[in-house]
Amino acid sequence: MKNDIRRRREASDLSQADLAEAVGVTRQTINAIERDRYDPSIELAFKLALFFDCHIEEIFDPDVDLE
Amino acid sequence: MIPDVPPESRLEKMRFYRRLLYGCLAVGVSGFLVAEALEYPLVAVTIYWGGLLGMLAVKFGTSVRLFDERDRALERRASNVTIYLVAGALIVAAPAVFALEATGGYEAPPTVSSILFGFSAMFLLWGAVFLVLRYRP
Repeated sequence: MKNDIRRRREASDLSQADLAEAVGVTRQTINAIERDRYDPSIELAFKLALFFDCHIEEIFDPDVDLE
Repeated sequence: MIPDVPPESRLEKMRFYRRLLYGCLAVGVSGFLVAEALEYPLVAVTIYWGGLLGMLAVKFGTSVRLFDERDRALERRASNVTIYLVAGALIVAAPAVFALEATGGYEAPPTVSSILFGFSAMFLLWGAVFLVLRYRP
């Protein structure tokens, strides 16, 4: 699942560790999400959206359709 | 290296207690091996259980969450891959061994039979756990 966490994090002048600390996961998890190697749980996605003060769909692009 | 004083941030605390947990495991296992090599079996088992108890004490004695959701996802994935690999080996090997034994062309050594029965028992357990999880209220 594509996301723009890295762009938002860098725009906020935060390190991966800072963001990880804020949302309660490890730095490696933030790194894996930014590199599209791990899709976060709904709970973590909500935390990230809350942290960046936006909706989940503004951060994550699931790239799926209902066919 | 485990720092002398537990640090303050949540991530650093997590790292500290994880190292402590794995440290207990390492001490327990290496102590067991060394004591076994020196032919002190009772000491070996005592050190081993001490290490395990240390692990449990760290895991349940701290309010810090030691593993996050990705750690658990990796654990589930590793378990899945392992189960599939063992299932594949068992599906291919077990009928072949039993068929060869039935035709008298081959007699499997006790170790092979034990491994096959052990894996079969593991899959029965897996099935039972799966059913419990599937139908639990």
